[in-house]
Amino acid sequence: MFPRPIEKSAPWVGIAYKVFLPIALILWLLPLIGIAITSVRPASDLASGNYFGMPSGFAFVENYSSVFKNSNIGWYILNSFRVTIPTVIGAVALSCLTGYALAVYKFKSNLFVFFLFVAGNFVPFQILAIPVRDLTLKMGLYDTMTGLVLFHVAFQTGFCTLFMRNFMKALPFALIESARVEGVNEFKIFWHIVLPLVRPAMAALAVLIFTFIWNDYFWATVMAQSADVRPVTAGMNELKGQYKVAWELISAAAIVAALPPVAMFFLMQKHFIAGLTLGATKG
Amino acid sequence: MATVTLKNAKKQFGAVEIIKGIDLSVADGEFCVFVGPSGCGKSTLLRMIAGLEDFTSGSLQIGGKEMAKVESADRGVAMVFQSYALYPHMTVKQNIGFGLKMTGHSLADIEGRTKRAADMLQLEPLLDRKPSQLSGGQRQRVAIGRAIVRNPEVFLFDEPLSNLDAALRVQMRIQIGKLHHDLKATMIYVTHDQVEAMTMADKIVVLHAGRIEQVGSPLELYHRPNNMFVAGFIGSPKMNFVNVEAGTGSSLKLPGGGTVKIDGMKAKLSGKLTLGIRPEHVELAKKTADANVSTVVRAAEYLGSETMFYVTLPDGTEAAVKADGLAKTQVGDTLLLHFPPKACHVFDPDGKTLHNGDLSK
Amino acid sequence: MAQTGVQPKPRGFWKTHQKTLAPWLFLAPGIAMFLLYVIFPIFESIWISFYQWDGLGPKTWVGLQNYRDLFADDSFYTSLKNNLIWLVLYLLAIPMGLTVALFLNQTVTGIRLYKSLFFFPFVISQVVVGLIFTWFYAPDFGLLPKLLQALTGSGKDFAVLADERYATLGVIAAGLWPQTAYCMILYLTGLNNINPEQVEAARMDNAKGLSMLWHIILPQLRPATFIAFVVTVIGALRSFDLISVMTLGGPYGSTRVLSYFMFEQALSEYGTAMGYGAAIAVVLFAIMLVFITIFIVRMLSQERNS
Ligand SMILES: Nc1ncnc2c1ncn2[C@@H]1O[C@H](COP(=O)(O)OP(=O)(O)OP(=O)(O)O)[C@@H](O)[C@H]1O
Ligand SMILES: [Mg+2]
Repeated sequence: MFPRPIEKSAPWVGIAYKVFLPIALILWLLPLIGIAITSVRPASDLASGNYFGMPSGFAFVENYSSVFKNSNIGWYILNSFRVTIPTVIGAVALSCLTGYALAVYKFKSNLFVFFLFVAGNFVPFQILAIPVRDLTLKMGLYDTMTGLVLFHVAFQTGFCTLFMRNFMKALPFALIESARVEGVNEFKIFWHIVLPLVRPAMAALAVLIFTFIWNDYFWATVMAQSADVRPVTAGMNELKGQYKVAWELISAAAIVAALPPVAMFFLMQKHFIAGLTLGATKG
Repeated sequence: MATVTLKNAKKQFGAVEIIKGIDLSVADGEFCVFVGPSGCGKSTLLRMIAGLEDFTSGSLQIGGKEMAKVESADRGVAMVFQSYALYPHMTVKQNIGFGLKMTGHSLADIEGRTKRAADMLQLEPLLDRKPSQLSGGQRQRVAIGRAIVRNPEVFLFDEPLSNLDAALRVQMRIQIGKLHHDLKATMIYVTHDQVEAMTMADKIVVLHAGRIEQVGSPLELYHRPNNMFVAGFIGSPKMNFVNVEAGTGSSLKLPGGGTVKIDGMKAKLSGKLTLGIRPEHVELAKKTADANVSTVVRAAEYLGSETMFYVTLPDGTEAAVKADGLAKTQVGDTLLLHFPPKACHVFDPDGKTLHNGDLSK
Repeated sequence: MAQTGVQPKPRGFWKTHQKTLAPWLFLAPGIAMFLLYVIFPIFESIWISFYQWDGLGPKTWVGLQNYRDLFADDSFYTSLKNNLIWLVLYLLAIPMGLTVALFLNQTVTGIRLYKSLFFFPFVISQVVVGLIFTWFYAPDFGLLPKLLQALTGSGKDFAVLADERYATLGVIAAGLWPQTAYCMILYLTGLNNINPEQVEAARMDNAKGLSMLWHIILPQLRPATFIAFVVTVIGALRSFDLISVMTLGGPYGSTRVLSYFMFEQALSEYGTAMGYGAAIAVVLFAIMLVFITIFIVRMLSQERNS
């Protein structure tokens, strides 16, 4: 292990490390902790200039219920789910198919197609925005959930294909050959052998895409206008204008908006990190 | 009837030719073993027969039918992979029945065949386990079971025992032998292991760099190798090769001035040649008069049942000698060797055999 | 022919061509979507950049005029300069992430939770990060001015985001927070996969501290470094959310980057200069293409070697 394990050092090093660790963490998360504390401060604290002292009361219920009552945030969160969940399903499904094709079959343009997906995944959003918005308008899907979801599915297929293909490529190829010798057709091999074996990859992709899409702001702004479609990221920015200096409410809303991906991360941590660190260990 | 016949089979990967024209015929019910050094194309050839690799040119017939355009599933072959290739998410029973189920066999049929295979391989107690809950030998048996249920005419094995420990290997070897006897199917078997090849095969095919060096029964290859490659490859420990010079008549001049006279030599000898003699055929001489060559012991392994001496000849050639377990010679001592003429093989400078000493006569 | 033994069974088209057709059937839906929404739009944007277009009415061909206008536009140079600053400073996330990862690569109790909490900033949306930092920087009551006040006795009304000199740096600092977390997790995974015996062997060879890091550890972390580089460069050039939330490109357009500038011109409520916006996007794309090419070439050579 590098660096040298702390247990092998002098005892005071270990103690110093254990003392410093929480301090470092608090410093690291200071902005977040500040927001969290602010979100439970009574409005009177802010009015009287008590931004950092002990909160004079615990206004969790007041602030959070006020955010839900006086803004559309509940609705925006629902919208976020309505965009995110179909996108996750669509992108994971499509990439299982494309990943399988690219991992299992040898054909001339295999690498070309693969790198088309990889490269497309890196392009700046701005080069896509005008034509995509135009296309969506022409399909009559502008400012609809469907329009937003279709784009997200298509774009995320790039990353998901990269991920799935590499995962499937690491499966023992003999499993597929063995099934072929037994006369199992290609679709049944995909369905009965490969799909059950890539479940961990599907889980990893699902949590990642969930987070990516939930946190998307650019497309939420470009492709959605009405409150019926607006996801919570775009909604947050609007709230910031609405509340101006009512930071206890803005903070509460920010915490609410951040919660679902955070929950996702803590529930599916292993998969999440496996997904993010794809390729960080070999090569 | 399932003979397997290859005619001028070739395979290229990109520009590299891996299989360089193989002609081979495996008779119905024969147990044929492919051996050869790593990378010589054994697996590739087997996979070509299985239909997992296309032919670049040449033809393959199984049971007299041309197979070039036939899908592997329709060739009547079953393959057992080195890694077993068991589906990790299925139970043993599902693994065995999967191929049948996918190709539309009735449930009753699948049950019956699974039962029969399970009986043959003592798998009943394992049927509901997943592969991860099995030992290596058990996995191997499941993989074989999966091949059996398809009632193939030809079994293909690619180093099926290489992941097992020595004791299990012996056990599985016997089991596969028994299976061959019971099923009377044609089997083609790739291995690295000398002992597997010698004990299991009706016919051994020695491959080297994409070509066949020799085909024959195990004892034929052992006693009458066609060339130095086969002579060196078959038999363990390896045959010793000694540089010699042709003397008068059918005698050969050994390093250090000794000679050996080869009986029944038909070819005319001249110039520099190579003499081959297996370690187990070299004898220890008591007196200088009986010895062909005097050597110095570099290393010795006392195994109890036998003793291996690694010696250096006067010209620096290394050789191995298998002596009985009571031999007392030590490292650094001189060892006098006698080469029985009947055990000597002679090779020309190109490595082709000029003479095979035949102990069996 | 007909008399000579068994006729081969007639085999269906599907059966004969299954292996050649199957991959394309699997690819079809994904490729169709990807072409429609990603690949074609790239070319369409390039094409639009030669037109003057308000997004609704007819398009007028103007050739390279949009580009000429762009290269004469001060805002363009401000954006370009800011993109460069982003790129350079964002790369600090890599050594910072490595430092944090080395700090956390221990086995004391509870370290798993610490690692997760350090990673936390990456999980939350950039919009929220932007809000958090806006609050953190806010003059009078923000945490930073308070800290400055406490440490130096002045700076209580120091407004980072309203100051042309510091605004971009302030936004980048906000971006570095989650990005460092991302690099950290990449390096933690990389460190986790280093063969401990190799480290022990190096220790026997008397490699210590920095020399060990440099000669033994970093070479083995190269895949992680490569991925960290890729995601950081992409992240830097894609920077949009933070600017939009924290400064709206201001003050006086001083925090614009190409992506935000393009948004202002073509996509925002008042932006109707589609051709001009497309031209900005094309320039951004061209810059990105340099990096994409580097990534692809390297991934391709890995692919060939494996
Ligand atoms: N798909 C492939 N593409 C390119 N070259 C290949 C491919 N498969 C095998 N080869 C090459 O063909 C040669 C023969 O390989 P093969 O696997 O048949 O050897 P082998 O005799 O089975 O060796 P081993 O005993 O190590 O299993 C090797 O040099 C290998 O690198
Ligand atoms: Mg092999």
